[in-house]
Amino acid sequence: MIGQFLLYIDPGSGSYLVQVIIAALLGVAFYFKNLWWKFRSFFSKNNKDRQPKKEDENA
Amino acid sequence: MPEPHHHPSSYRDPSGFVFLVNGIYHRQVNAGYADNYDHLMQSGLYDTLVTGRLLIPHEEIPENLTASPQWYRTLQPQQLPFISYPYEWGFEQLRDAALHTLAVLKQAVEKNMILKDASPYNIQFVQGRPLFIDTLSFEKYDASLPWIAYRQFCESFLFPLYLEHYCGIASGKTLTAWPDGVPAAVTARLLPGKSRFNAGALLHVHLQAGVKKGSTSGRQPVFSRQKLTHLILHLENILRKLKSGNNIGSTWSNYYNGTILGHGYLQEKQRLFREYIKDLPFHSALDLGANDGYFSKILAERTGTTVVAVDGDAACIDRMYKTTGKKDGDLLPLCIDLLHPSPAIGFRNRERTAFHERFCTELVVALALVHHLVLSGNVPLADLPAFLAELSTDALIIEFVPLEDEKAQELIRHKAQWHLPYDAAAFEACFRGSFSIQQKNIIPGTERILYLMKKQRP
Repeated sequence: MIGQFLLYIDPGSGSYLVQVIIAALLGVAFYFKNLWWKFRSFFSKNNKDRQPKKEDENA
Repeated sequence: MPEPHHHPSSYRDPSGFVFLVNGIYHRQVNAGYADNYDHLMQSGLYDTLVTGRLLIPHEEIPENLTASPQWYRTLQPQQLPFISYPYEWGFEQLRDAALHTLAVLKQAVEKNMILKDASPYNIQFVQGRPLFIDTLSFEKYDASLPWIAYRQFCESFLFPLYLEHYCGIASGKTLTAWPDGVPAAVTARLLPGKSRFNAGALLHVHLQAGVKKGSTSGRQPVFSRQKLTHLILHLENILRKLKSGNNIGSTWSNYYNGTILGHGYLQEKQRLFREYIKDLPFHSALDLGANDGYFSKILAERTGTTVVAVDGDAACIDRMYKTTGKKDGDLLPLCIDLLHPSPAIGFRNRERTAFHERFCTELVVALALVHHLVLSGNVPLADLPAFLAELSTDALIIEFVPLEDEKAQELIRHKAQWHLPYDAAAFEACFRGSFSIQQKNIIPGTERILYLMKKQRP
C-alpha cells in the first residue's frame, strides 16, 4: 500500500495504466530480442562479439 | 541558537524539509518518514549511492534544531556552492540528469526501495557531474505497483528532450514555460506526425496523451519488478538516442573557431587574463557570455574554485558541458540570456530564486560582452556597473570593444540608434563610481581594452 502521506505527487491513474500497457509490450519485445540474440549467437562463428548486452539479459 | 529558516522551496514533501541555520543547510526527517529513512540507511542503499557519487552525502546531527514535534532526524548534507534549475541547463545536462535519476532508481530497486518522485530539481551539477540531492525521495518498494513518479519523469525530463529532438525547441525554454514538466497532451500536439512511427514517442507520449486520467476506474493495475526493469531500460535506451536540436540558430557556438579576429588575439587576451588572475584571491567566479568556456576553464584550473559559466546560446552550453572533464575542476555551464535572466518563480515567487540572487561571486568576468549588451540590447552603458556590482563581491575583469571593432560594426550595421556616448572614456567614467581600475591593457593587434577592476567598498 502507498502510505497516505507519500501521495504528495499525483501519480495519475492513467499513467499507471500506460505503464502496464508499455511494460506488457516491452516484455514481448525483450522476449523476442533475447530469442533473436540466442539464434544469432548459435549460428555465429564469433560468439563473444555477438553476445547480447548484460542489461538485456537481465531484462 | 538562531531561528531556523525554513527553505521556501521545500514544502511539497511531508517527509521532511530543508532549513537554514547559521548559513548552513540542514534537512529534517519527519517521524512519518522514519521507516523509509531507516531502510535507506540500513539496507546499504545510502552507502552504495554515496560511494558511487550518485547521492549527496550527509551527516546526522543528534539535535532537533527546529524544535518540531514531528522531528525524527536532522541531516547536514554536503553544502553546495550554487543551485541551478533545469530551465537553465542545456540539452546534454537535462539528458544526463534524466539518466542519473534512472541510475539512482535502479540502485534503489535492487535494495527494495523506489523513487517516489522524479523531479529534475532533485539533481544538481557538482564537479561537472549530476548529483541526486533529495535524500527523502526513497520509499519502500512494492513490486506489485507501477512507478508512481513515471508521469513526472516523462513530463519533466523525457518530453522536453523529445521536443528539442523533434522540434528544435530548447529544453530550457520548454521548462521555463512548464517548470513542473510539460503535459503529455501538449507534447503530443507539438511533436510532428513522424514521431508516431517512433516506438518510444508512440508509447510514452502519444499513448500517455490518449489515456485519460482515472481510466483504471479505481482498480490498481498489477505490476512486477521485471516490468519496471523493462521500463527503465527502455527509457534509458530512448534517452541515449535523442539528439539535441540546438544547432538550429546557434549564433555563437563557433565564435572562437570560425569568427574570431585571429588566433593571435586569443593568445594575447589569454596572456593578459592569466596575468590578471595570477595574484587575485578568489574561490568563486562567474563568467558572463562564456561562449564555449575557453576562459572559464582557465579560471577553473585553480584548485578549490567553483566557476559558473553563463551563455545565452544553448549550443555553446552543450559544447562546454560535453568538453568539460575532470581536469577542468568545478565548472557549471548554464544557459542564461543576460537580458532575460531567470526570474524568481514558484509559490509566492520564493520557491526558485532569481539568477542574481543565486550567483554572486568573488570574481566576475565579462569578456566581449559589453558591445552586445549596449549595441544589440540597447542597455545604457551607465547601467552596467550596477548590474556587475550586484554579481561581484570583489573583482571584475571586463573587456571593452570599441565601435571601430569589426564585431561592433557588424552589430550596428543595420541599426540607426544606440545609447551614446559609447567609447572607452565614457566606459571608464561610468565604472568609476562602483569599481576602481587596477589594470588596463589594449589587447595587441586590436583596439579592444581589457580591464581588471576592484569593487569599491561602500
